[in-house]
Amino acid sequence: MLEIKDLHASVDGTPILKGISLTIGDGEVHAIMGPNGSGKSTLSNVLAGREDYTITKGSITYKGKDLTELAIEERASAGIFLAFQYPTEIPGVTTMTFLKTAVNAQRKVRGEEELNAVTFLKLVRQKAKELKVDEDMLKRPLNVGFSGGEKKRAETLQMSLLEPSLAVLDETDSGLDIDALKIVADGVNRLRAPDRSMIVITHYQRLLDYIVPDHVHVLAKGRIIRSGGKELAKELEASGYTDLTESAA
Amino acid sequence: MSDQALTYLDANGVAAVGPAWLDVRRKAARASFADAGFPHRRVEAWRYTDLSRLIAKTDWQPAMPHAGAVLVPEGRSNPFAAITSHKLVFVNGFFRPDLSELEGLPAGVEILPLEAALESGTKFETAFDANGPEAVAPIAALNTACAKDGAVIRLGEGVALDQPVQLIHYTPDGGATASHTRNVIELGAGASMTLLEAQIGWGGAYLVDRLTNLTLGEGASLTHVRIEDEDAQAVHIATVLGDVAAEASYVAGTLAIGGRAGRLQTALRFTGEDAHAESNTAYLLRDQQQLDSTIIADHAVPGCTSGALAKGVLDGEATGVFQGKVIVAPHAQKSDAKQMSNALLLSRDAAMNAKPELEIYADDVQCAHGSTIGELDGDALFYLRSRGIDEQTARRMLISAFLGGVLEQIPHEEARDLLSERAAGWFESRSGGEA
Ligand SMILES: Nc1ncnc2c1ncn2[C@@H]1O[C@H](COP(=O)(O)OP(=O)(O)OP(=O)(O)O)[C@@H](O)[C@H]1O
Ligand SMILES: [Mg+2]
Repeated sequence: MLEIKDLHASVDGTPILKGISLTIGDGEVHAIMGPNGSGKSTLSNVLAGREDYTITKGSITYKGKDLTELAIEERASAGIFLAFQYPTEIPGVTTMTFLKTAVNAQRKVRGEEELNAVTFLKLVRQKAKELKVDEDMLKRPLNVGFSGGEKKRAETLQMSLLEPSLAVLDETDSGLDIDALKIVADGVNRLRAPDRSMIVITHYQRLLDYIVPDHVHVLAKGRIIRSGGKELAKELEASGYTDLTESAA
Repeated sequence: MSDQALTYLDANGVAAVGPAWLDVRRKAARASFADAGFPHRRVEAWRYTDLSRLIAKTDWQPAMPHAGAVLVPEGRSNPFAAITSHKLVFVNGFFRPDLSELEGLPAGVEILPLEAALESGTKFETAFDANGPEAVAPIAALNTACAKDGAVIRLGEGVALDQPVQLIHYTPDGGATASHTRNVIELGAGASMTLLEAQIGWGGAYLVDRLTNLTLGEGASLTHVRIEDEDAQAVHIATVLGDVAAEASYVAGTLAIGGRAGRLQTALRFTGEDAHAESNTAYLLRDQQQLDSTIIADHAVPGCTSGALAKGVLDGEATGVFQGKVIVAPHAQKSDAKQMSNALLLSRDAAMNAKPELEIYADDVQCAHGSTIGELDGDALFYLRSRGIDEQTARRMLISAFLGGVLEQIPHEEARDLLSERAAGWFESRSGGEA
């Protein structure tokens, strides 16, 4: 699905990612943990194609193709989805209108028929219900005034509508109450499929009790300093990052 | 004395052809305009719109009637065509009965061209006396001295006109020609109507000056919807000057997309308590277009509310101007006035000048004013694109979102939707497809 090789990326000339290599097979779920400021969100943004970041070295191959050649929207239509750590508030754009535009834009690129208003509404209602997203929220401007947890749920709703091949969840658990965490995790688990891979970025082992990863990586100072199985998350929960980052330095 | 003004008046002024009450006023206006000259940038209220310079180096001659059919270019047609209305059509500033629709006017409603109204002996002394505040007075004088035709709309007491009235102005011919139009609109106490105005031209370099005198009686209500879509080389001025009586209401919604340089100036004075006036303007400019939206609300009496909202999208080397002025007289307590200017700059070379002004002499008032100038939000653009929405569509969504809340204020739903469509058309026609 995804192969990152020796990836270096910088912003305004400051190197942030300093040689990341990561291979994600079809259907795999990889968790990325690591201290604040270590580059987790930077990696997500680079995958989604944010133009503020410059790739200075290395490669990203997605489904056998050079991902860096694709524009932001082309990556989305090719199946990459980033659930933002801080979803952007967009006043004046109704959530429902946005969802429909996004779904149909991707369908169009893939040569699928666009969904009409009725079909789309049915689909959104069903997904919203599963994720316990209040329908009234969909009539509001996108993310505007949504609570922290509501934003994360809205991101999950978008993901379940867009059905990506590679989902990157950047701290989708932060800001969620215990019930919401369960609902969102269930939503994510429903999407798990042999042809769908996920990168789950989190600070908390708790999420990984619900979304059980195949691999866990620790990112520190722009590098992956340790990788392991799901038990690595438990170990980190107990010991913290200090030992690891010190031994890596 | 201004030579520029004298030369202009000699070519374009209307000679004394009667009626006598009007000739007197034309003469006075001519003298006053000759004295003051075309407003220029050293006149504070015209700092950003140097009309004197804009019309300089051109030997302006009066526009002539356009013979025959009017072939409106594709995409530039009257946006209100589908709305069943009473209609007055002017071409090059001259009334065209063959294109107008004035049959079946209900009782208490008078709609006719100015020339016919003057011939019938109707007097409009007050409409031609009022020159308005300093900012608009020079143009009011110019208009009085030069206006040949226009529309007269009068509603008797309590008349609620169901169908809107359309005033459609086409300017198919240019080449250094000028036209001056005077509209007189009087609504009796409790009368109400919707005015749909379209100003559309494709004749190249021309100058149009349209002035509308409004008199709203007690409790009268006027909805005024406008589109300004003049030729990319034209200079245009649209003035609304009027009095709003107690409990009367004036709500304007304007979409301005045309012209090389334009000034929309509205000066309203409250003459009775609990009246309301608001102007909502959306302007979309590119290349070297410039548009000046100047709005003056004179709270001469207590208890009135006024609002001025202007939102501009500026691309290329376009320039936007917002001048708002609220005057609250010493005894005009409980006045409520709002002014807001928002500009979205799509290019580095675009510019915006905003100047909200408050002159408040009363203490128990609510006045709010502000202005913002910004660019498209890069984070928002990234967010939309990261969901598969192409850049052009994403930009368009954000621009429409920015404009939201202006045209929405138009109380006439059909007209509002038609104007929104025309605004969307502006994006389609953007050259280069940058957004
Ligand atoms: N646009 C930017 N301009 C300047 N510095 C940036 C920018 N984006 C990221 N950085 C810096 O890069 C480093 C990595 O940031 P990033 O957001 O990727 O961390 P993170 O691992 O996601 O942290 P957290 O766990 O707090 O979310 C930080 O030091 C941050 O300040
Ligand atoms: Mg982060």
